[in-house]
Amino acid sequence: MTTSLTLAPALVVRRWRPRPGAIVGAVMLGTVLLLTAMVPLLPGYDPMGQDLRGALLAPFTDPAHPLGTDALGRDLLSRIALASAVTLGMTVLIVIMNALLGSILGILAGYYGGRLEAFITLVSNVTLAMPVVLLLIAICAVLRPSAGLTILVLGCTWWVGYARVTRNIAATLRRQDFVVSPLTQGADSVWVLTRHILPNVWPHTLIIAATDIATIVLITSSLEYLGLGVQPPVPSWGAMIFDGQRHLAGDPWLALLPGLVMLLAVGGVQFLSQQFTAETRGGLLRKGGMR
Amino acid sequence: MSAVLRIENLRIETDGDTPRTLVDGVSLRVDRGESLGVVGESGSGKSLTMLAALGLLPVGTRITGGRIVLDDHVLVDVEAGVWAGERELRARRGRTAAMVFQDPMSSLDPLRAVGAQVAAAVRVHAPRLGRRAARERAIELLTSVGVRDAADRATTRPHQWSGGMRQRAMIAMAIAHDPLLLIADEPTTALDVTVQAQVMDLLAEVRERTGSALVLITHDLGLVAENSDRLSVMHQGRVVETGATRMVLAAPAEDYTRRLMAAMPAEQERATPDMRTGQADALVAENIVVDYRVSGRTTPVRAVDGVSVRIAAGETVAVVGESGCGKSSLAKAVLGIHPAAAGTVVVGGVPVRSELAGRTAAERELAQIVFQDPYSALDPRLTVHELVAEPLRIRRAYDRATVAALLADVGLDESYAKRLPGQLSGGQRQRVGIARALALRPRLLVLDEPVSALDVSIQAQVLTLLDTLQREHGLGYLFISHDLGVVRSIADRVIVMQHGRVVEEAPTAQIFSDPQHPFTRELLAAVPRLDGPRRTARAAIAS
Repeated sequence: MTTSLTLAPALVVRRWRPRPGAIVGAVMLGTVLLLTAMVPLLPGYDPMGQDLRGALLAPFTDPAHPLGTDALGRDLLSRIALASAVTLGMTVLIVIMNALLGSILGILAGYYGGRLEAFITLVSNVTLAMPVVLLLIAICAVLRPSAGLTILVLGCTWWVGYARVTRNIAATLRRQDFVVSPLTQGADSVWVLTRHILPNVWPHTLIIAATDIATIVLITSSLEYLGLGVQPPVPSWGAMIFDGQRHLAGDPWLALLPGLVMLLAVGGVQFLSQQFTAETRGGLLRKGGMR
Repeated sequence: MSAVLRIENLRIETDGDTPRTLVDGVSLRVDRGESLGVVGESGSGKSLTMLAALGLLPVGTRITGGRIVLDDHVLVDVEAGVWAGERELRARRGRTAAMVFQDPMSSLDPLRAVGAQVAAAVRVHAPRLGRRAARERAIELLTSVGVRDAADRATTRPHQWSGGMRQRAMIAMAIAHDPLLLIADEPTTALDVTVQAQVMDLLAEVRERTGSALVLITHDLGLVAENSDRLSVMHQGRVVETGATRMVLAAPAEDYTRRLMAAMPAEQERATPDMRTGQADALVAENIVVDYRVSGRTTPVRAVDGVSVRIAAGETVAVVGESGCGKSSLAKAVLGIHPAAAGTVVVGGVPVRSELAGRTAAERELAQIVFQDPYSALDPRLTVHELVAEPLRIRRAYDRATVAALLADVGLDESYAKRLPGQLSGGQRQRVGIARALALRPRLLVLDEPVSALDVSIQAQVLTLLDTLQREHGLGYLFISHDLGVVRSIADRVIVMQHGRVVEEAPTAQIFSDPQHPFTRELLAAVPRLDGPRRTARAAIAS
């Protein structure tokens, strides 16, 4: 009477019970998303229009600029909204690229093993050893920095975590009888990989992705701060903080407001992902049952 | 005579808004030096009851009623509001009562030397004892449980120990402080029969020496018959019958006890096989050799060394032997999952290549497998319908009605079709596994320990189902098993394997009545039986 560790469907949650942290996280992230989605619909949305006579207005002084204006008189609320869309969009793209790349390599390594696995392990170790930010700076010395370049470089260098985890799961699944069984019935590897391995692996990928979003937001923002990534006049959180830094003494909100939005986004994702991992962990590690 | 352990009206429930009752008013009593067998099927609450006695209930369960008295100390009295603290419980565990768990593979730390783990158990209750003294005591204990060259072996880690030896080490740890009570939870379920006999001998000998009482938790009535003075039968969280082992087994008063006894594999062979001589043989495998490459070694390990098997249509051939004898490797070679290094395989009259990849889909259909572990055999995400439909989809022959017919064949009605494996019992899962194997109408079914993970009553049902299906479809069965009792009731012919070779092959009746090879005799003698020789030193105490 074996009590075996079953790889239960991670996303089948028996009863959804939100933790207080998750509610806080949802409110935080929800604020940012709402801001990003709603502001462009408001009258007076204009992230690019300059008005040097109305520069450096403080928040809540002019009804036309609820959060004030920057040094070039651009509406801060509009710019923050656009910057959120830009940074979050880049982040999601980067995370998806890495999750796909890492999971595919991990699954192949775990399922086939042998030389393919050794090769993929070698590639992951090399990738892990690469200083991503320095690499990007080096590339930008040759090519013009752009959002596309940042997405491409970060999107291809942050996948090792996904590969490691999915490799282990795929290697475990490979030995499960339910994976062997279709092979004895005439199925090929593609059948097994798509019908049995992938569906049992991707919930795990999702968990890593959820916790990864916050990290990637911070990395892209630091790159933007350094001027690598989205180029002016398109706003981004990092670039806005960099610009606002010069006015820190007199007009601190220029740096503080984008910083606050970033805090809401990163904190919100982090709180939410904790709920998510805790909920699924219960499902993943549940035993096959007491004897 | 005073009791070592008294459990009165114990109730255990799950936590949560809608608690389920797992143990429902259980009363048990273990006297000094006696051995009590607690018998029941999965979910009967037998393990939980004894875990509660040591304050080791798993998370999510709690005691909601009753009293537990260990060696005249009240540990729990719900009505009086007495709850022993963790400190008191720790002081009792190992000293008053000690536990031997089921799975010796997972109950030892794989990274620490076995001797060090035994020494740690010694020092838990003797912190003043120096390291060296504890080590010496550990070696002494290991020697006393029959570990030869204990001083040398103590420095090795568990992976170098066999299952039986590990269980000896567990027993050494349990008796480190001469406890009044040993609780053994399915101590031999994971072991071969011959090893089981050795471990039970050892437990009896240890008790003779230390005078400790024993609670033997098991699903095996034969084991209880040979090893306990008294027995309690548990069913759905209640004790249904208690009494002197001999008297209960000779004249069970309760219906459930009778059902349990009836479900034990019959000690007789099945009716004459319904062989179909007109058809091609289900399997002709000749001179099969299976090698395993082991990392760090140049020469491969030979698991199967020139074994031939012939199975007619409608015939069941059982391959028995201990773990590591090559019986599972033989099955895998027949299926091509682990290709044979040499030898020929002909399934249903069709010669097939040794490796699975070299067989066409039509050739793969001929031989199908039912796996041992009903938990890992089914993808947890797929419904029963989808699981059985999969082979048909692979062959592009899916048809809703066929799946329904297959499920009906194995005794599962429409209501099961939408369930997930997690919502099925072990027996139901195994039925799904059988339906899936039958979907492609194979000629040979490889049954790799198909009932060893199931309760006795479920075992009997699945065996009956297999028998019916065989007669219906004229299937050949290659039945891999370590359990001679099961084999006797289903096999027409038995092949006994040892160290990768066949040591005896004969019709079932002959194997059981007139075994030729000494190893076969040893295997047969080790099977616990209701009327087997008793190990307990003392006479049975009438209740």
